[in-house]
Parts: sequence; C-alpha cells; structure tokens
Amino acid sequence: MFHITSKLKGSTAVIATATMVLAPVFASASPLGSDPIRLVIPFGPGGGSDITARVLSATAPEFCGPRIDVVSMSGAAGLEAVNFVRSAPANGHTLLVSDYGPVVTSGFVDEVDWSHDDWQPVMNFTEWLPTVYTRPDHDIQTIEDWVAAAESDPGSITFGHANPLGLVHLPLILFEMETGLENIHVPTSGGGETRSLIMGGHIDLGMTLPASIASEVASGELTALGVFSEERSAVLPDTPTFREAGYDVVLPAWLMVIATSDVPAETVEFLQDCFMEALASPTAVAMSDRVNAGIEPMNSEDSTALYQATVTSIEGILRNIGEID
Amino acid sequence: MMLEAFVDALHLAFSPEVILYVAIGVFMGVTLGAIPGLSGDMAIAILLPIVFFLEPAAALGLLTGIYKGGMFGGSISAISFGVPGTPGSAATAIDGYQAKLKGYPNKALNTALYSSVIGDTTSDFVLIFLALPLAIVALTFGPVEFFALYAFSLLLISALTKGKVAKGVAMAALGILLAMIGRDPIGGSLRLTFGIPELAGGLALIPVLVGIFAVSELIIQLAKAWMERARRIVDDTKQQAQSLLGDYDASKDKLSFAEFRATMRATWIGTTMGTLIGALPGAGSSLAAFISYGLAQRFSRKPDEFGKGSLEGVAAAEAGNSATSGSTLIPLFAFGIPGSATAALFGAAFILMGMTPGPSLINDHTEVIYALFLILIYANIINLGLSHFLLPLYSKIAMIKSRILLPIVCVLAILGTFAAGNSVIDVWVLLFAGLLGVVLRIYNFPLAPLILGFIVAPGAERALRQSLLIGRGEWTHLLSSPIALGLYAVAAIMIFTFTIVMRERK
Repeated sequence: MFHITSKLKGSTAVIATATMVLAPVFASASPLGSDPIRLVIPFGPGGGSDITARVLSATAPEFCGPRIDVVSMSGAAGLEAVNFVRSAPANGHTLLVSDYGPVVTSGFVDEVDWSHDDWQPVMNFTEWLPTVYTRPDHDIQTIEDWVAAAESDPGSITFGHANPLGLVHLPLILFEMETGLENIHVPTSGGGETRSLIMGGHIDLGMTLPASIASEVASGELTALGVFSEERSAVLPDTPTFREAGYDVVLPAWLMVIATSDVPAETVEFLQDCFMEALASPTAVAMSDRVNAGIEPMNSEDSTALYQATVTSIEGILRNIGEID
Repeated sequence: MMLEAFVDALHLAFSPEVILYVAIGVFMGVTLGAIPGLSGDMAIAILLPIVFFLEPAAALGLLTGIYKGGMFGGSISAISFGVPGTPGSAATAIDGYQAKLKGYPNKALNTALYSSVIGDTTSDFVLIFLALPLAIVALTFGPVEFFALYAFSLLLISALTKGKVAKGVAMAALGILLAMIGRDPIGGSLRLTFGIPELAGGLALIPVLVGIFAVSELIIQLAKAWMERARRIVDDTKQQAQSLLGDYDASKDKLSFAEFRATMRATWIGTTMGTLIGALPGAGSSLAAFISYGLAQRFSRKPDEFGKGSLEGVAAAEAGNSATSGSTLIPLFAFGIPGSATAALFGAAFILMGMTPGPSLINDHTEVIYALFLILIYANIINLGLSHFLLPLYSKIAMIKSRILLPIVCVLAILGTFAAGNSVIDVWVLLFAGLLGVVLRIYNFPLAPLILGFIVAPGAERALRQSLLIGRGEWTHLLSSPIALGLYAVAAIMIFTFTIVMRERK
C-alpha cells in the first residue's frame, strides 16, 4: 500500500515538474492555475453545444494557458452538469456551456438551490434562430398559410418539437400567445424524429435550427416557413422572419460560457479576453465554418444583458402558460 | 452518386487501418466470447467511447469484428465446457458438449464455425439488400405504426420466452417500469424518482445493460469461486476436460466433407430462422437458436441423435444464433429501433458519431454505411480464417482462473460505464442492476424481456402519447392504420401458434 502511494506521488511529481517546465511564459500574469479548464455541457456528446465547445477547447489553450477539456454530463436532464459547475471551486476552471434551457428555464420550473443571479455569462458563442418548417407538398407553405389554416380550424394543426419548454418549443408558445392561435403540440425525441414525422406526413409543421435543414431547404426537400429572429438567418437567406410577416415574435437561443457569480471579476475578464481572442483566430474561424457552428462571439457585458433579458422574457412566457405562479 | 459513394466506401473499408481494426475486433470477440460470462456485447459496451478517438469506419470495424467474433466465440466454451459463453450459444451447448464428451470437440467446433459464418454472411446480405427498400417504407411509420410495432415486439418476446410466459411478461413489465423513472417525455413532470434529483434524467441504458448481463454474471461467478474455495472442491468440469485430453486422439477428430454436407440442411434452417427472427425487434439470438434447433430436429433424418452429440444440432443452433447478426440491424437502419442489445449498442455508437440511426442514416452517411456493409461481409472471412487457425488454442482461454479474470473485468465495467456518461450515478445504477440481475438469475427469470422492455418503453410511450395527441384523444386512432392493424394481427397469430407449439413440445 505504502509502496503504491509513493509510486503515485512520484509520477505526480514528474507530471507537475513537466507541466511547470512546459508552462507558457504568460502564465504568471494569468489569474488561472495550471489545472485544466473544464467546459461542462449539460447535453450528450455530439450535439451543437458539444461541437461548438470543442472549437473553443481546440483553439483557446494557446491564449488562456491551461489545457481545456469538454465534459459532457447529460444526466438528470442537464441539471447534473449545472449542479457540478455550481459546486466546483469558484476559480474559473469549471465553466458551463449551455443554452437557456438548463439554466434559465430550469431555474424557474425545477427544484434547484440556486437563482438566476448566481450565474454570470463569460461570453456568448452564437445565437441560434428557431425556424418553422414543413414538407414541400403540404398545403401550408408560408406563415400566412399557417395563420389562415389555424384560424379556419383551431387546434387542427399538429406541430412537432423536441425538448418541451426548450428552445424549439417556447417560440411556438410565444407565437400562440401573440396571435391567439391554437395548435396541437407533439413533443418528439429530437430533431431527427420531428423530421421523419413531417416527411412521412404524420404531422404538419415542426421547429428546428437553420443549420440542420439548410441543405434540404436549398434542394427543395423541405420548406422553411419563417424564423423567430430580428434578422434573417445567414444559411436560410430566402426565409422571412416572423417579424417581416407582421408578428413581433423574436426568441433566439444563445449558447453561452457561464461561470458562477462568485468567480472573481478579473478571472471572468481574463477568460472573456482569451476566449474571444482564440475564437477570432484563423484556425477557430475555419473550424467554425467547417462544423457550421456560426460562431460570432459576444463579450461578457453584452452577454450578461442578453442573459438578463432572456430571464425576463422566459419568466413572462412561463407565467403566462401557468408553469410558474 | 451511388457508384461514387460505393467507390469511396471501398476505400474506407479496405484501408489497412480499418482491416487491422476488424481483425483485432474479431480476435477480441472470439477471445471474450469464449470466456463464460464475458460476451462481445459487453466488450462493445466497454469500448463504446472509442468512437471518439477513431474514424467512423475504423470504430465500426472494431465493433463489428468484436460482435461477429463474440457471436462465434460463445460456442467455444459451450462446446468445450458445456457453459454457454454467451446467451445466444445456450442451444449450441446441448449437442456441442455431448459431442465433446464423446471425444470429438474439434468436429463440433468446426461445424459451429462453418454454420456460424454461413448464417452470418447470409444475414448480412439480407441487411444490405433489404435495408434500402425498408428505409423507404420506413417513412410511412408514424406514431401509430411505431406503437403497434413496439407492442408487437414486446408481446412476441415476453410471450415466447421458452414457455415461461408469465415470467416473461412480468420481466417486460419490470423493464418498462424501470424505463419510466425520470422525466415524463410529454409533460416533463418527474416520475418514480422518490425525491432523488439525480434520477430526474432516468436510468441510462449502458449501466442497466452492463449491470443486468455482465455484473450479475460476475457476482455469481465470484460467489461460486468463493464457495468452491471454501469447500476445497476441484471443479469437475475441469477434471473432465483434463481426463479427456489424456486419451484424446486428434487424428480421428477431423470434420470430413461428408459430415459437413450432412449438416447443411440444419445450417440453412438455422440461417433462415435466424435471419427472420433477427429482423424482429427484440426476438434475439437465443430465441432464434432454440427455434432453429427445434425445427432442425423435426426436419432431420436422424432426429434421435439430437441431444446426444448431433453435429446437425450444433449447426442449426449456431447458424440460428449467428444469422441474427446482420438482420438485427435492419430495424435499427430502417426504423431507428434497436432490435437487440447489440443493435442498441451500435445505435449508441452511431449517435456518438453524430449519425442518427433510422431511415435517414443511409442517405445522410452513405459512404460510412456502405463501408460498414463491406466490413460486415469481410469480417466473416476474417472470422473464418482467424478462428480456424486459433480454434485449438482458444478452448484453453476459458481455463484462466476466475480470481485473476474477474477483478480485471469488474474494474473495466465500472470504468467503462463511468466514462460513458461521466456520472457517478451511472456506476451506482450499474451495481444495483447487477444485484437485480443476480436475484433474477437465481429465480430463473428471463433477462431478455426485461432489457427489451427497458429499451422499448420510452419509444412506445412516446408513440402512444403522440398518437393520442394527433388523434385528439381518440383511442380508435391507434387502429387507423393498415400497417398497425396488420402488426396486431400477426402478433396475435404468432402468439397463438407458438403457444400451441410450445405445449406440444412439452
């Protein structure tokens, strides 16, 4: 037993020495230690958040100092990841990469021991624009067709979406609140199932993110009706926004790097600077293009304003549909 | 476009790296399959995270090799020691072990190898040439049809479990119950979590799978080893094996061509039944092996030799077992339904590589899937060559002392499960599933319906509730589709017929 311990100590010492020798010169100016930074994602591996976080983990070590690992924790519908980051030491080495679902929505609807003020955004990667789509031989081909059909026979149109109360469902709820229209909401296991059901003629409409249907829309296999955003999506240039059609429904979903609010301000600032520098590098830009991540970094201050605006708007929606009182 | 994809797939499948991974996989599969308690499925479960480190074709090649190797490897310990190395080789043990006791293990092993490869290869061709048309048909499957399909598979497997219908149905229900832990898929409310927040996401498949099948087996074997040690009893199987080697005449134990030809009828019965049953979600390889064995006995010219070391019995069981290997992927490719534990693991591998199992898989990832098809075929040839060369050596691996083997395997199982979800909860689930498996094994409950229920329940519940949402709460909407009606009818007929067949056989 003692033998094993001393062996372990020996190897740790070797690794520690090696790390010190190899440590970049600027490490002295950094508020970070030499331990790796963990980007914890509250979803399974392979999804949009994972891929986007990997662009950062591959490019940022050069600018930030320590190695960066992406850790996927999809347990307890993402809350395991959120709680893990929450209980980690507040030194900026454990960060959450998430959309608003597991932080903002969960903070309202789940039993959690934190509030929305316990989090502070470090930076925002991108804004995902929820998009309504259908098959090209469906009667409904435009936002106007949808509204007309829903008005003539309320509650007849079936609408598929993944993640109830998530980023491809809340815009539908918001749209119904604005217009008073009724649709049948059909939760699915994910974007793939929504698409199969639409293509097979089992449901009428569905919601997804532009990157996942862009090639099918271009080839005419799917029709995109409209985008819930201020401006049109870069990958769906011919698809109008709901605002253009006269409905002021805008609910983009951000993907942020989030720290707990007890991480020192100088650490957050350092992380923001080195992350944004890394994402502006030619390697990161090329990677982002290849995986279609659409990364457009936003600094901590702007991200915080966006975060707070989202908390307010989602609280309004959830209160309106009776999820919270 | 198709031809282009095929040429790309050729490059992928026959790159030296991929061939090497397939060969390593076959080697590992045969080795692990030959060790009682370890199966190819378990190795695939442990090695699943490898998809992050390898190119898709190489990763799929490795997993395919393990799968095919393990499928045959199970028969090595079934024949050598009468202990099925895998659940699928349980039927092989009946005649295989008798053949070995009569002094011709090599004949039985070679019969098993040839029938296994014939069954497997045929099944792969069925997958390749029927998966594409099936993928087009698949789009007609909506919530109504899917619910019928899930209900069909659940009824079929739980009602056909070797005559233990009540236990089978109970296990399927338990599997469904376990799968309901966590968030309700439609409303999002929490169910059966008993206030434990970590259970909100439900139980993960891998720890349940590895726990029920592998950890329970390890615990039981560990307990056996301890008891034997305390009593200072020498294992009699070991003694038998050693005494046999004493007067074993290898020159008389060679499979002649006439003997091989005599087993062909049984091999083709096994191949046909295995391929058909393999394509049914949840039917599984042990069911296919037993049904093939039973049918081969009925159609044999020497039915009386069955149970006494008949090579036909070995051939039918092993062909039936292995012929499920290709066709079990058909529901996964066509519908995204894992038709077996193995298919579930392949499905997980696809998802981890960012490929969604289901109708769009072939269209979205044509090259990789074509490469997988090629690998499926040539892995059989590698299996044939490698196993033929190594057969005499492998029977010895099963003799590795369990006190050396078991601790290593336990550590691997825990590490593999933890790595899959980075969750300590998963490790607890693994251990609890292992204990549950021990209890169920002791009381002779079939494990397959439990696993099938667990795998199928979330999809079945979603399909049911989606159907009711789309049909505005009318239950008759479930009968609105001809496909669904057909599935319910076939299920009813099959259960009726097989119940009668089972009764007659008693």
